[in-house]
Amino acid sequence: MESTGSAVLSKYENQITIFTDYLEEFPDTDELVWILGKQHLLKTEKSKLLSDISARLWFTYRRKFSPIGGTGPSSDAGWGCMLRCGQMMLAQALICRHLGRDWNWEKQKEQPKEYQRILQCFLDRKDCCYSIHQMAQMGVGEGKSIGEWFGPNTVAQVLKKLALFDEWNSLAVYVSMDNTVVIEDIKKMCCVLPLSANTPGERLHDSLTASNQSKGTSACCPAWKPLLLIVPLRLGINQINPVYVDAFKECFKMPQSLGALGGKPNNAYYFIGFLGNELIFLDPHTTQTFVDTEENGTVDDQTFHCLQSPQRMNILNLDPSVALGFFCKEEKDFDNWCSLVQKEILKENLRMFELVQKHPSHWPPFVPPAKPEVTTTGAEFIDSTEQLEELDLEEDFEILSV
Amino acid sequence: MPPLQKNPSLRPFKQRKSLATRQEEVAGIRAKFPNKIPVIVERYPREKLLPLLDKTKFLVPQELTMTQFLSIIRSRMVLRATEAFYLLVDNKSLVSMSMTMAEIYRDYKDKDGFVYMTYASQEMFGCLELAVPSSGSSHGNRPEIPFTPCQEKLVL
Repeated sequence: MESTGSAVLSKYENQITIFTDYLEEFPDTDELVWILGKQHLLKTEKSKLLSDISARLWFTYRRKFSPIGGTGPSSDAGWGCMLRCGQMMLAQALICRHLGRDWNWEKQKEQPKEYQRILQCFLDRKDCCYSIHQMAQMGVGEGKSIGEWFGPNTVAQVLKKLALFDEWNSLAVYVSMDNTVVIEDIKKMCCVLPLSANTPGERLHDSLTASNQSKGTSACCPAWKPLLLIVPLRLGINQINPVYVDAFKECFKMPQSLGALGGKPNNAYYFIGFLGNELIFLDPHTTQTFVDTEENGTVDDQTFHCLQSPQRMNILNLDPSVALGFFCKEEKDFDNWCSLVQKEILKENLRMFELVQKHPSHWPPFVPPAKPEVTTTGAEFIDSTEQLEELDLEEDFEILSV
Repeated sequence: MPPLQKNPSLRPFKQRKSLATRQEEVAGIRAKFPNKIPVIVERYPREKLLPLLDKTKFLVPQELTMTQFLSIIRSRMVLRATEAFYLLVDNKSLVSMSMTMAEIYRDYKDKDGFVYMTYASQEMFGCLELAVPSSGSSHGNRPEIPFTPCQEKLVL
């Protein structure tokens, strides 16, 4: 890296130009902009809004990192965009966990040590727990060979597995299936004994938590694992069904919001907010050079923040395959999320997703993720023959009975 | 709509049979099984991950909920529990999982009398063009638009 004095200076000057550039680029309206659960008044709080956006960790394609798996690709240009978006969402969760949603990044200002530690989880090295290496290799278990494209659900599943190896954060990652979030299952995952009574991260036995469930807010867990909640959805077949637009936007208003993974066909974006009918996003499609830790153990973070104009796109151009993200640091955050969802999502005639108290009886039993991976095949879903009876009647009709 | 279908038998059900034939078929089956809902389940033509079902037409008990029906179809395909699977009614809607088939029939039945459902997983994101790397170390020098390999960008 040739960061001579003049380079630094020119960087800094460019910085100023960019900043004034994009001050003008947001339209002058009275509208509110929502970014990850926070609102900004466009007219009077523009600079606050822009610094809130540039504070987010921005992960892009990189090149010249050590080959994945020893002999694999040393750049993720062209295939890593959804993986990068997943990294951005997780990084935002870790920022909320350690620094809080209101923490703000300032260029060249000293940051809390947690910030450096978060950043180091995502460096493009095989020994960093959420590196492109770890993600691509964990994708193999999801049927993706290294270098293959991911969807929002793939990246969510990969993050769920990688989080099991991250002892620093001990996150509970819940990825909903079949558009359904089950409160009981989440509480089972997140309730842990106080550290004194158990080894860190160990889960309560089902019998112990059973009494806590279904009582909602009244019964609190003795300890709560911070929850990363991901809801993968398909909001239409080849385009988003406009009936979901309001509910989708509503998610960015929730204080628990981590935005959404998605994109336009082929291009993955990390959506962080909206203004009117435009989504605001961070774009991973810029290839930068791999950055490693420096001799003093810190990382130069200049290339990990997006200082250019925030990008926007019309919400109707959104590819229907998305994943919503939420972070609930404490149990009360999750309870609050549940009531917000009741109020804002379930009120819709066509619900974007479901929130249910109890684990559906026709589903396979809930198994909290554990390090040696447990796979259940769909074949176990139906527990008795009474649900499905095949009768060879009426040409090729298949007759289902209850 | 699906330009890539080679096998004519894989054409969508609606294109294989005329409206009159389909209406007749529904009338016949409804007369025999008045308590069951005739449902057509087809794969999204551009779906690349999920297998084809061996059946297209289902007669479904009217009290069956969407979530139960989804689980039945899922189990037919023997999917991994973590695999994305969506069943969209009328080609566009994720209906409430607690809706019964009778309610879905009431709200979504086609004029031929069938309910149409399409299943799909999620799209994958990436691009085939090779990205021309911009220099990471001079990241700050980027008022000139950064290179974006595979898209037209809307910067406002």
